[in-house]
Amino acid sequence: MRKSVTDGPPGFIIAVVDDDQRILESLEILLESADYAVRPFASANALFQSGCLAEVDCLISDIGMPLMDGFELIRVVRAERPELPIILITGRSGMLDRLSPIGTDHYRLFKKPFKAQDLLTAVNEALRKPHRRASPL
Amino acid sequence: MKTAAIVPEEQHFILSTLSPGPVQKRLALAVVLCLLVVFALITAGPLAGVHPGRVEAFVPAYAAAMFTCDSITAILLYAQFSILRSRATLVIASGYLFTALILIPFVLVFPAVFVPGNLMGGTQSTSWIWCFWHAGFPMFVIGYALLKETDSSKQFWRGTVAAPIALSVALTGAVVSAAAILCIAGEALLPRVTDSSLHFGSLWPYFIGTPVALSAATALIVLWGRRRSMLDLWLMVVICLYLIEVPLSYYPNPNRFSLAWYTVRVIGFISSGLVLIVLLYEIRTLYSRLLGAVLAQRREREARLMTGDAVAATIAHEVKQPLTAMVTTADAGLRFLDRSMPNLDKAKEAFKRIVSDGHRAGEVVEGIRANFRNDVRARTALDVNELIREALALERGDLQKHRISVQAEPNQQLPEVQGNRVQLQQVLLNLIANAIDAMATKDEPRVLSVKSEAHEGGSVVVSVADTGTGIHSQDVDRIFNPLFTTKSYGMGMGLSICRAIIEAHDGRLWVAPNTPQGALFRFTLPANNSASASA
Repeated sequence: MRKSVTDGPPGFIIAVVDDDQRILESLEILLESADYAVRPFASANALFQSGCLAEVDCLISDIGMPLMDGFELIRVVRAERPELPIILITGRSGMLDRLSPIGTDHYRLFKKPFKAQDLLTAVNEALRKPHRRASPL
Repeated sequence: MKTAAIVPEEQHFILSTLSPGPVQKRLALAVVLCLLVVFALITAGPLAGVHPGRVEAFVPAYAAAMFTCDSITAILLYAQFSILRSRATLVIASGYLFTALILIPFVLVFPAVFVPGNLMGGTQSTSWIWCFWHAGFPMFVIGYALLKETDSSKQFWRGTVAAPIALSVALTGAVVSAAAILCIAGEALLPRVTDSSLHFGSLWPYFIGTPVALSAATALIVLWGRRRSMLDLWLMVVICLYLIEVPLSYYPNPNRFSLAWYTVRVIGFISSGLVLIVLLYEIRTLYSRLLGAVLAQRREREARLMTGDAVAATIAHEVKQPLTAMVTTADAGLRFLDRSMPNLDKAKEAFKRIVSDGHRAGEVVEGIRANFRNDVRARTALDVNELIREALALERGDLQKHRISVQAEPNQQLPEVQGNRVQLQQVLLNLIANAIDAMATKDEPRVLSVKSEAHEGGSVVVSVADTGTGIHSQDVDRIFNPLFTTKSYGMGMGLSICRAIIEAHDGRLWVAPNTPQGALFRFTLPANNSASASA
């Protein structure tokens, strides 16, 4: 057995954006352990330049990043992929206040250090939703 | 429990416990001497022959003014009791209530104030009420003086304030009523100290003058040995005025509405107002200290925000990142092992990564420390004596306010040190501010001595010594801990940051008891060898 409900069906592609290499690598290996294909990016720009935004099924992004932060990233991604499930992670609780204007309905937010199992559950749920619907911003 | 614990420590800052400065003492002496001169002028001097007329409105006006003064004083002292919970304050407040209340029967029995002849009582009543009044108040002063010296654990009232104040008002009212009834209804039974409504009899000095003088003299002696505060000082002046009033009432002529009699009333009015003035002055001082404390608190808060919070936030963030990575990777490793076909290679990779993340996290923490230690950009060659001068100049206001004398002993051959000017200035300011706080609550002498020395090992030693409360032996090991504080305000970040700064400069900061009292903080800084070599 040993494949829990939170293990994603193979084939789903998850993009991860975090400027901290350590977090990025840890998320990569965690998602791999759940059999997802992972596309790690050290910055929002790296994600856009890679051109793989169109193929990903879920996006996990840090909020506090230099140049383009998580909020800016969401705005740009929404223009291209309004239905894409997005999960945000943050190290600073102060960031939570800034979330309210855009609403948390379409985002799951995790504070560092988060529980890996919770994150995987959130990814799984996001992927199982009929996420082809247009998501208003 | 909380209030009881706070009150004894706080009392040093409040009102009747402020100690008088030399100016205050001289002023008190001047008041007494001035009235002695008046006394001499009236009894023996050129004014002896002046005979003013009878002013009908004088007595009611005098009584009303005294009543107002003494009532306000009593209210202020009761208010002080409600804050300080000092039984001594309650007693002296009762004393002022007593002098205020006894003015009512006094003005009622005074001959020919409201009606011709006596409204109440008889010829003797006025003098006897005056006697109870003037012998009674020193009794309250004696009670006050004795109570304020008692064991401090018993001295402070721990219950509600309404009950003791109500009791004190009731008792004082009862005492005044009893004295009034005795002097009015029992007037016939009292020795005849007054010949007529205007003239004191030959028995006056024995039955009125002597008890008042004895009572006042006792109060003066009792208070003299226990004098500490401004209130004590001015109560002694009040008692001195009482002592002057007694002979002046009878000499040079024992008549009401004589110059001496008028003078006694004026002196009485002055004595009634003195403590009120002192209380108002103390309220002003308290208010300015309150402002100072609020400002100091704000300064410390800002300093803390800049240092403590910033450091804490940086460390929290720097530690949280690798921790998150490690926890996440560990979870991934477990998941690889948990599979029906455990993926050992992947698990091994995950755990290797955790190990290296752990090491890197350690480096991060060390890096923060090193960053703090070697902020080389901000380091310059510094003259420690110059730093001390600046720090003392910055604290001059507080030093003067608390009448602290400064002994600066700079070593003129002091080598320069390499350091961060702002940080080292912060250390000196912190140590000096602590010294001021420690001495603000102590009797004199208050001496701050700041010394710089050059040690042969190539280090500069700065010592900041105070004659304050000193540091309890059980606290010596803890005072440098963050969050440890003996102050009612502040976070206790000061000394821990000081030590961190000094250690970041490769120096040491420690504390020792100062002799005969107080604390002695010392820190060393390595001398700037290159600078001294080139000099």
